[in-house]
Amino acid sequence: MSLRVKIILITVLALLAAVIAYPKESDLLRVIGFKQNLQVKQGLDLQGGAHLVFEADLSKTPEKERTKAMEALIEVIQKRANPAGTAEVNVQRQGQNRVIVELPGVRDTADAIDRIGRTARLEFLEVSPSSQQTSLLELTGDDIQAINIDFDPTSNRPVGRLEMKGGDATKKFADATTTINKTGSLLLITVDGQPAFGPATVSEPIVDGTAQLQGNFATVEEAKKTVELIRGGQLPVPVDLVEQRTVGPTLGQESIDRSLVAGIIGLSIVALFMLAYYRLSGVVAVLALMFYAALVLAIIKLSSLTDYTIVLTLAGTAGFILSIGMAVDANILIFERMKEELRAGKSLLAALEAGFDRAWTSIRDSNVSTLITCTILYIFGTAIIKGFAVTLALGVLVSMFTAVVVSRTLLRVVIRQKWASRLGLYGVKPQEIQS
Amino acid sequence: MNIIGRRKIWYAISLIIIIPGTISLLVNGLRLGIDFTGGTLMEVQGRADAATVRQLTDRLDIKDVTVIASGSDRSLIRFRDESKPKQQEAHHQILKRELSAKGLDEIRYEAVGPTVSRDLTRNALVSIAVVSVAIVLYIAFAFRNVPPPLSSYSFGFMAIAALLHDALLLLGIFSLLGAFFGVEIDVLFVTAILTVIGFSVHDTIVVFDRIRENLRRERKPFEDIVNQSIIETLARSLNTSVTVLLTLLALYLFGGQSIKQFVLALLIGIAAGTYSSIFNASPLLVTWNNWRAKRAG
Repeated sequence: MSLRVKIILITVLALLAAVIAYPKESDLLRVIGFKQNLQVKQGLDLQGGAHLVFEADLSKTPEKERTKAMEALIEVIQKRANPAGTAEVNVQRQGQNRVIVELPGVRDTADAIDRIGRTARLEFLEVSPSSQQTSLLELTGDDIQAINIDFDPTSNRPVGRLEMKGGDATKKFADATTTINKTGSLLLITVDGQPAFGPATVSEPIVDGTAQLQGNFATVEEAKKTVELIRGGQLPVPVDLVEQRTVGPTLGQESIDRSLVAGIIGLSIVALFMLAYYRLSGVVAVLALMFYAALVLAIIKLSSLTDYTIVLTLAGTAGFILSIGMAVDANILIFERMKEELRAGKSLLAALEAGFDRAWTSIRDSNVSTLITCTILYIFGTAIIKGFAVTLALGVLVSMFTAVVVSRTLLRVVIRQKWASRLGLYGVKPQEIQS
Repeated sequence: MNIIGRRKIWYAISLIIIIPGTISLLVNGLRLGIDFTGGTLMEVQGRADAATVRQLTDRLDIKDVTVIASGSDRSLIRFRDESKPKQQEAHHQILKRELSAKGLDEIRYEAVGPTVSRDLTRNALVSIAVVSVAIVLYIAFAFRNVPPPLSSYSFGFMAIAALLHDALLLLGIFSLLGAFFGVEIDVLFVTAILTVIGFSVHDTIVVFDRIRENLRRERKPFEDIVNQSIIETLARSLNTSVTVLLTLLALYLFGGQSIKQFVLALLIGIAAGTYSSIFNASPLLVTWNNWRAKRAG
């Protein structure tokens, strides 16, 4: 690739990164017809909200059914945490038996915990047809062993098959159905106060604990919906809240503001230092550094369009700011090497190429060791550590690109200019040069 | 400049800095936060008075209550509540309401159960061990073509020695901070340790890389080559560390309260990492080489 092509590509990439990284990028992107809103997705510690971890008690679940039970649990929790399906709630499995629930911006954590973790909100009601009065039966979701779809052997229509837990539950169910049957009342099952099945007649007392829910379902789908509604009313396995972290919105906003200020100050100090120490090379380094910052921000924003959204946490911003330091290190390694080669009497062009080539093994080896650390942190770390590892790794990868490709190309262009031939511009004094 | 010739001085300085912390580490250990021990942490806006808080917590059967000031006008309340999770949440709501009535509004609340903290501790130890092993292997691989006298594994192990120096120094200082100022370590501290390890190796490899290159080009005694390599990379080592430390200092002074301790750990660790990569890791290669030569007689 010729130098000219490289410069054009870098300029285009820099402009693109800058446009995407720009805080009001959607206004700019709309011009070219891009409608989706990009955003830096913020972690709970930055935007405020609740991070809850529930642990399922699988001791009574047979080994083989545990995975299925956990999947069912996550589904139920998802529905409870986000009933309307609109909020940005994140429910995911962690390890063998834990479920993480992340609720951004939630104020009333107590209510959320209660909503997610309660054992059952399934109610059985007796409805009197004459007075339209309802009375609560002593049965709850805890009494249900299983509910599945079945087919009535005579009519071959889909029905729900309800199985009560043995012993006490079966007896309670038998008592309730006996009364309902005797008084000619109806049975109504509600989930969260909403009718799920019935009111239906009870043709005979059910003493064996297995009932057929005949809802005159027209299709299997309809029956399935009812079954799932009732099943969703109870958690498939009991859970306990084992971790809770709540951050108020003011604390989160403060963290963002302060990190931003710190980042800008840090970046400015580094830029001043580079300019003072490495002169013209320093100018190139600062440009590369700005490119670096824009590119990292752009990648973080673009990741929100994919399944692998990079979530920026407090530790993540620290990782980002730290990676600025590492980005500078690559430049420093190259410039120091270049100075050495100049002192040894090489021409500017030769010194530049040798400086990059020789610094490369150091840059590669040292950054690979950092990347190894990041990978291990990501594998073994908790959510907070993962966020840090991802941003640091991203920073290291991008910094290798900006130092080795961008700085190099810019310097190649600069040193070809007549005005840039004085060695003092690169921080080398004439008396230091060996002839 | 003769850095290698004075290596015993550098070792002595390291020992003097490390010993007090190590003793404290053995005697006091580390002050572990709720991330490791399980328990509850509540941060409120305003200065909470320990007596007032205890009055509330005593009624709720909450144990081990400590109240510490945080930042300029905030307080951290830490306690242990051994009741059932549902009951704990009820206690939390009562406490929140009562404190709020006294003008102390909750801004952060963290409760970590014993199983979670046990897993976290195990994961932290595993990741530190795995990182160390991975680094030795990587260096041994990256330096597989290193010219004699030393094997590539020697380079790996000396990098680990420097890394242990940095980790020990950091742990020691936080043990002292814990003993005298009540500073507790949390999950971010583990991140800090691992970052320092990564950075320490990053720094050390740059010097080792130069030693490898000079071993190929020069015909000089090993000691002289190591010394020359350290001096040639000195400007880079110092400049890089200065820029990283300056960014961290900005983060420490202007960044949020909640990461102050994390940044402090990074500041100490990275300063230590720079020292050890110049004054410990490479000199140790010479010491190791001389010891081997002497033994071989």
